[in-house]
Amino acid sequence: MRLPDSVTGSFLVVLGAAAAYGGYILPPVPGQPVGPNVFPLVIGMGLALCGLAIVFGIGHSFEEEEELVPLEDGQAAAPPPQGKLYGLRALLPPALLLFYVLAADRLGFIITAAIIVYVTSTALGAKWKLALPLAALSPFAIHLIFGKLLRVPLPAGLLPTPW
Amino acid sequence: MLKTLLDAFALISTWEVIIAMFAASVYGLVIGSLPGLSATMATALLVPVTFYLSPIAAIATIVAASSMAIFSGDIPGALLRIPGTPASAAYADEAYAMTRKGQAELALGAGVWFSAVGGIAGVLSLMILAPPLAEIALSFSTFEYFWLALLGLMCATLVARSSPVKAIAGMFIGLLVSCIGIENPGGVPRFTFGITDLFGGIEPIPALVGVFAVAQVMRAMLTPEPPPLPRRKFGSIMAGQWRLTKLYHWQMTRGNIVGIIIGVLPGAGADMAAWVSYAMSKRFSKEPEKFGTGHVEGLVEAGASNNASIASGWVPSLLFGIPGDTIAAIAIGVLYMKGLNPGPTLFTEKASSMYAIYLMFIIANILMIPLGIAMIRVAAYILLAPRSTVMPIIMLCCAVGSFAIGNNMFGVVTVAAFGVIGYVMEANGYPVAAMVLGIVMGTMVEQAFVTSLIKSDGSILPFFERPVAAILAAMAIGALLWPVMVWIWRKVKPAQAVAATTR
Repeated sequence: MRLPDSVTGSFLVVLGAAAAYGGYILPPVPGQPVGPNVFPLVIGMGLALCGLAIVFGIGHSFEEEEELVPLEDGQAAAPPPQGKLYGLRALLPPALLLFYVLAADRLGFIITAAIIVYVTSTALGAKWKLALPLAALSPFAIHLIFGKLLRVPLPAGLLPTPW
Repeated sequence: MLKTLLDAFALISTWEVIIAMFAASVYGLVIGSLPGLSATMATALLVPVTFYLSPIAAIATIVAASSMAIFSGDIPGALLRIPGTPASAAYADEAYAMTRKGQAELALGAGVWFSAVGGIAGVLSLMILAPPLAEIALSFSTFEYFWLALLGLMCATLVARSSPVKAIAGMFIGLLVSCIGIENPGGVPRFTFGITDLFGGIEPIPALVGVFAVAQVMRAMLTPEPPPLPRRKFGSIMAGQWRLTKLYHWQMTRGNIVGIIIGVLPGAGADMAAWVSYAMSKRFSKEPEKFGTGHVEGLVEAGASNNASIASGWVPSLLFGIPGDTIAAIAIGVLYMKGLNPGPTLFTEKASSMYAIYLMFIIANILMIPLGIAMIRVAAYILLAPRSTVMPIIMLCCAVGSFAIGNNMFGVVTVAAFGVIGYVMEANGYPVAAMVLGIVMGTMVEQAFVTSLIKSDGSILPFFERPVAAILAAMAIGALLWPVMVWIWRKVKPAQAVAATTR
């Protein structure tokens, strides 16, 4: 997900301009010179300026390239298999969290959590022999701690817990 | 004074606090020792649990878990050359070189011992610095608070190990996030886009969990698994530490002081303290050529430094609500929730609670020695746990924890969104710590700014009229112009060099 500075900088310019405009159109407090509109206006302009500076590469010389730590005596870690869609794997965790938001009320905590654990575990390279028991047991453990001990109202859904 | 101290003792000598502290210590040690799980993440995932504890027990868990995790990150650093937390990254190479020379015990023992010493030095700084500063801060008006907040935000950008422009941009993004909601001077919905869930604004805690926990799971998806730890027998771990203390007492003290200073600076935390102290140790060492070959001197100084910064990071947090580091940023959220709103009056009105915090820090750092030794001995077994079992549990904790904060599914959406934001920012060199600072301090900055503007009736002069405000203003403006001056200087210098050679 390493994007060129010109892309992220331009995005910040747009974001800053939008924020400044959004602040500008907010209704002022009657009879007062400053209201809710001032702060977004200032921040938006600042952000846009920073974005411009980044586009033009100001301050780039301060950045330190992250060095990869070789594992053993300069023998670097084997590069992971790079497919076109490989980078998209990073989006899996947030996608699973959104899945939790959509499904938890209907399926219940235990089932949703089991799916999340199984998918995450498999994506990180676990065999089904490890992922399946983990998916079966860990939701109950978490439910015991949060649902029972800390009384977080976790949705019961299709499969209520025995306690 | 004595009565307050006795009250504080009474506050912490309940079973709830003792159990919470012990459990949080073990939790911190385990999370810190697992590569890829940082001390900040350990603290962020603790927050939902703290809701159900009494205020003192809640703070106890944060104090214990964060101190332990910072030490515990040394363990895989020394044994695998993979730092368990970013705070151990500075000297992981050195510690690993010692392990290869057969001095694993000495390296890890130095980690435990000087972490504990550093932690206690940090608490002392908190005890000595905070009350007199509170005295001064009582006379602060919104003008001083505005400049102080601005100075805090600028500090975070100055110390970032990245481009200062990107750090400032990160800070602005954080401030922009804090604009969302109806909690603004006009009480109008701002940047809510008609979504009711956004009316309450973005809660800092789910945002922090997203940035530090979800983003980490996302990174784990793309990085190879660290190798398992070879099992080994350890000799005596504390042997020779007293000799090291006497030999390197000056390095240790310097590490403590540097750690304390960096901890107090907003936004700069344990990892920065370790980097600076390690570099200083090398710079001022009598035998710098030994560095990198398994020399314990740098470990002593950096280990003493990163733990000292943990406690001193609480100084600006407790006094002004300006977080000294990312862990303190989370602690501030918990303090507000528990009715211990940060501010100078905390030291007069809730003095016994403050003493309780000092005591808990001291206890946590003493407890670190036996627990740390035990942890070193069992680390090989804990590190056997593959990432594919740890990360799914982290995911569940993120989901449930962020839901528990408001019993509201929107918290989970926030966590997911900030996971993506944190991941993208980190991947492109935008320091997330600066954004976190912006989110946590945004409301305060805006309040101080707008109230000051209303009071001054549009004039800019009152911002500089009060003496303390003028000093703070000068410092803040200096900090703002610093990167610009460095940039110009760098542009001018090569030109001069060229001019000199052509003459």
